[in-house]
Amino acid sequence: MSSVSLGHQENYLAADFRLWSWLTTLDHKRIAILYTVSITLLFFIGGSAAALIRLDLLTPHSELVSIETYNKLFTMHGVIMVWFFLIPSIPATLGNFLVPLMIGARDLAFPRLNLLSWYLYVIGALFAIESLIAGGVDTGWTFYTPFSTLFSNTHVFAAVTGVFIAGFSSILTGLNFIVTIHEMRAPGLTWFRLPLFIWAMYATSLILVLATPVLAMTLVLVTVEHLFRIGVFDPALGGDPLLFQHLFWFYSHPAVYIMIVPAMGVASEIIGCFARNRIFGYRFMAYAMLAIAAFGFLVWGHHMFVSGQSAYAGTVFSLLTFLVSVPSAIKVFNWTATLYKGRISLEAPMLYALGFVGLFTIGGLTGLFLASLGLDVQLHDTYFVVAHFHYIMVGGAVMAFFGGIHFWWPKITGRMYSDRWARIAAIVTFIGFNLTFFPQFIVGYLGMPRRYPEYPPEFQIWNVLSSSGAIVLAFGYVLPLFYLFWSLRHGPRAPSNPWNAKGLEWQTSSPPLPENFLRTPVVTEEPYAYATQRSSDG
Amino acid sequence: MASAAPPLAPQFDDVEQQRDASKLGIWIFLATEILFFGVLFAAYAITRVNHPAAFAAGSRLTDVSLASINTAVLLTSSLTMALGVHAAQSGTPRATVGWLAATVALGTAFLVVKAMEYRVDYIEHLVPTVNFFYPGPQSGQVELFFYLYFVVTGVHALHVFIGVAVISVIAYMAWNNTFSPEYFTPVDLTGLYWHLVDIIWLFVYPLLYLISRS
Amino acid sequence: MTQHPATKLRGYLVSWCVLLALLLVTLGTAYLPLGWVNTAINLMISVTQAAIVLLFSMHLRSAHPTLRIVAASGFFGIAILIGLSLTDFLTR
Repeated sequence: MSSVSLGHQENYLAADFRLWSWLTTLDHKRIAILYTVSITLLFFIGGSAAALIRLDLLTPHSELVSIETYNKLFTMHGVIMVWFFLIPSIPATLGNFLVPLMIGARDLAFPRLNLLSWYLYVIGALFAIESLIAGGVDTGWTFYTPFSTLFSNTHVFAAVTGVFIAGFSSILTGLNFIVTIHEMRAPGLTWFRLPLFIWAMYATSLILVLATPVLAMTLVLVTVEHLFRIGVFDPALGGDPLLFQHLFWFYSHPAVYIMIVPAMGVASEIIGCFARNRIFGYRFMAYAMLAIAAFGFLVWGHHMFVSGQSAYAGTVFSLLTFLVSVPSAIKVFNWTATLYKGRISLEAPMLYALGFVGLFTIGGLTGLFLASLGLDVQLHDTYFVVAHFHYIMVGGAVMAFFGGIHFWWPKITGRMYSDRWARIAAIVTFIGFNLTFFPQFIVGYLGMPRRYPEYPPEFQIWNVLSSSGAIVLAFGYVLPLFYLFWSLRHGPRAPSNPWNAKGLEWQTSSPPLPENFLRTPVVTEEPYAYATQRSSDG
Repeated sequence: MASAAPPLAPQFDDVEQQRDASKLGIWIFLATEILFFGVLFAAYAITRVNHPAAFAAGSRLTDVSLASINTAVLLTSSLTMALGVHAAQSGTPRATVGWLAATVALGTAFLVVKAMEYRVDYIEHLVPTVNFFYPGPQSGQVELFFYLYFVVTGVHALHVFIGVAVISVIAYMAWNNTFSPEYFTPVDLTGLYWHLVDIIWLFVYPLLYLISRS
Repeated sequence: MTQHPATKLRGYLVSWCVLLALLLVTLGTAYLPLGWVNTAINLMISVTQAAIVLLFSMHLRSAHPTLRIVAASGFFGIAILIGLSLTDFLTR
């Protein structure tokens, strides 16, 4: 806990130890840490719900919890993991910390909005936790009407309010990033010299600011209908429940790209560094993320193929969904090509990043099965869907998040952790993850519906495998808490650039000064200027 | 007596960067507002596609005279706002305060007229779940029209109210000589917000009040 | 902006007059029995009015392209939301 002096300068952590200084900070690095602590808390709450679900599913009959409670468990798991963990995760933690550093700026464009965004997140989370404590919500994280508006007697209002408030947190973060990246790049840092992590934050921010307002107003309509018992989602008066679904998924599909594009940015940074290679097809990587952000707005109807949506609309959305997979595929090819003729080393961040690429690929490919209208009739609302999105969200986004935490930990905290334990955690996570979710592809294909606490006995073996995997996975997630916290006290002090990585954040001290750089850097290099054994190919 | 050099926040390199960042920031915020209202327009569009006759019937029951007056009021307030920004940029604080005060007055007038409109709706039994009554076969769908009517105009009125409050604060700052030709960004940004509130009403007005007047 | 202040002032007044004139047109034509054309006229006038406010009062005509793209993306977003949703509702 002694302060790190860099000459006579103090780093951002040691600048002021009082709690009040943390709660009123305008320093993007401190706000990033505030976020990290909050979302970790929420992650374990959401994870506890998952643990109870997997325990209950060990047996074909729901013996651990009642059916009503089960409904509440998967709802709260979804609400918390989507809005209070995954959506903020990489952008609000790593993004907040790294965006100014990577572009050579002293802070984001609007530090006070940044602090406000954290407070909004916290207030939203408190509403969500209140709804949990008061008894939970049972509508599913998707709040489909008219059940959520007119028939559910659970604490919908509190949960919806929490999500609504947290939405503004997202919008402010996105707004801040866009303005910062446009206006505050260091001299010489042209758009195509930006690290791909910045491109990822930019593309994500576009989605954050354009999609989230739609969710906000949709939730307002749900709330009004819930409170006044009248609205446009109620068929009794001539409303249409599918109107809600269109509005909801217009946000919620781009939302999944909010969750994965930052992970893609993290993966590019890590793979470039630990393959000691330029990212293959840098411009295509940047354009691909923009394309994903843009095309992601055109495909939401693939969540509604069997809802009563017209077959014509279904066909249109199916075609567009196939198209949106192309930029993601390009990125997977390019990460792989980046490895070719690289000097690969397998430190923990790299293990997480490689795990990300493989698991994201599986998740993405299974999305294509779901995009096919005919197949989706069989697979919709089965565990196949559950496995699909967990492969992307957990196998993809969460692994990349952990990889990013491990990669930038020395920069953020000024300490090195035990790479041996970190690699063990990465491998345990990878094994646990696959053991948890691969059986779900199988049991979903065999017909087990999602959101059901009971199932035919022939599915039990797959559920037991999945639940066993969940125990391993939980271990993989808890382990880093130990060695990372241990490193804060006892880990060796980190140099500025422990990984010998390219990027402006590594040009300043670990941890950085409050104002990031002693002098504004000037950029003259192309990004990822690692010495490459590949013949240069433009 | 113009104020000294404009305040420069530490994260910015120079005043120009700060101003460009503020402008980009407000425009992004406006884009979020457009999408925020977009949901209401979408709900309207789809419900109207499903029930065109009921929407026509409902629209005929709205008060087109008050709404038309209000449209003219809001358009004029946009003019006074633009003139207020212009005055701030020209370094004439008294004119700035004058034009901003006029905008506040017109915005308040809009809200007063809207309140009058709501009172008429109440008297004529057009308020959903409160006292709605429509003598006809499509009562439920007409009630849906008025549900949307109140939600859309209500959310819009809330934005007008916030605008009036913010413009009042800006007018007060202008009265205190805060602005100069080098620094009038808050007036500029507030003006942009106000114009967007106007634009939204320009779509709300015909869609709610003019569906079937012939 | 290199316009003389008086020119800009006149510009605002002219915009205001045009906007009020369009208001009268949209209100007036509403009383003509033109069926769906009424709504089409109304929307076209609204779009025109919005364009006038955006370009002149909100200075998009002389603004950095980035700002114009931001403004466009908001409207584009609504267009997609309503347009693609209608592919469902109009083909049921």
